[in-house]
Amino acid sequence: MNRNYIFLTIVMLVLAAGSIFLTMDNEPEQIEPDELLQEIIQPTRYITTDQVAKMIIQGDPSLMLVDVRSEEEFAKYSLPRSINIPLQNLLDDGNLDYFGVPGTKVVFVSDDDIEADQMWVLVKRLGFGSTYVLKGGLNCWMQTIIDPQRPSDDAPYKDFETYSFRKGAQMYFTGSGADIPDASKVDVKVRRREKTNIASGGC
Amino acid sequence: MHIHELNPWRTLIALSAFVLILIIGFLTRPKPLLTYEKTISESVKALEESDAYFYPWELENVIHEKPDNIVLFDIRDNFVFGQGHIPGAENLSASVLSREENIERMKKLRDMGVTVVLYGGDELQANGPWMLYRQVGFNNVKLLKGGYSYYKEHKDNLALTKNDDGYKTGFPRYDYAEMAAPKDGAAFHTEPESKPVPVRRREKTNVAAGGC
Repeated sequence: MNRNYIFLTIVMLVLAAGSIFLTMDNEPEQIEPDELLQEIIQPTRYITTDQVAKMIIQGDPSLMLVDVRSEEEFAKYSLPRSINIPLQNLLDDGNLDYFGVPGTKVVFVSDDDIEADQMWVLVKRLGFGSTYVLKGGLNCWMQTIIDPQRPSDDAPYKDFETYSFRKGAQMYFTGSGADIPDASKVDVKVRRREKTNIASGGC
Repeated sequence: MHIHELNPWRTLIALSAFVLILIIGFLTRPKPLLTYEKTISESVKALEESDAYFYPWELENVIHEKPDNIVLFDIRDNFVFGQGHIPGAENLSASVLSREENIERMKKLRDMGVTVVLYGGDELQANGPWMLYRQVGFNNVKLLKGGYSYYKEHKDNLALTKNDDGYKTGFPRYDYAEMAAPKDGAAFHTEPESKPVPVRRREKTNVAAGGC
């Protein structure tokens, strides 16, 4: 073969190999810092305890609760259907597989919301979407769902609706308290059959 | 015979020029403004460093002495900043953080060895930007514990906050298991909250018209 052809081939292969080595490192795939900053300043990642309670009660299959506290604390108490991924174990084998599953909403839970938010930032850096943070954390869960406060009498009606929902959620999650507040009296809406005019062709 | 066999030198010159241009192209790629200095695992460890946080009682010194080596940045937006902020703080809204002039300013502050303290309405608001700054190598950035709301509550006696727990986060304030346990020996029943019940009457069809 011609010497120049061989030389040319070698140069091409060296260049191709060089460009592969440029991108090789052991870090998992991540998004750029300025993109991460844009995601961080959106407040859309916060989800309230009422919303999460509703999703659990309705058995929403897309909800995935991830508890970022330590294992001992998780063993003492945890929300139903939540899994435990402590912050230190984020990069352990298999933990990253819980994220990025299409159709699921991952909600991070911790005592307050700071640790869950920190986990959210790191998971976002790894490029996973559909992740949320439980605002107020478990402390807020206790104050709103497990032991809801009755609103004062001059509060708007919406607060009473929320309160009656929370009382129901309290029953669901703790199995206690048989007193039903007045705000949740069963409202029976009766829909009468629409009377159609036989003459006009109805039935 | 091909031209490159007749005149090998021309081929060699063209080839070298090609490789040279490729190399120059790679080296002069525009560098992004921000790059990660910490890996994910390093970032996780860095969260536990206590000198990454700024405590409310330290604000007393900053407000009265106005030292040169500490700068307070308020990341809330301009309107809220105008309504009330920590004396001596500068407004650096979260939405303009990624602008080139602000990044350059942060780099200058880091090179001068100035400590930058970030705060928001509450600790949560500044948490994200603080983490980002730490990850891209601004290790002089600290997060104010408790945020502006805690400062506002205690601004008249900041020195006493050393003994207070109010600004601390990340610990349970209740005994969760005890609070959530079934009470009064009541059986666990999963009855959902009472909802309005729409009653639909069976549609009466006319037998004569063929219905049933």
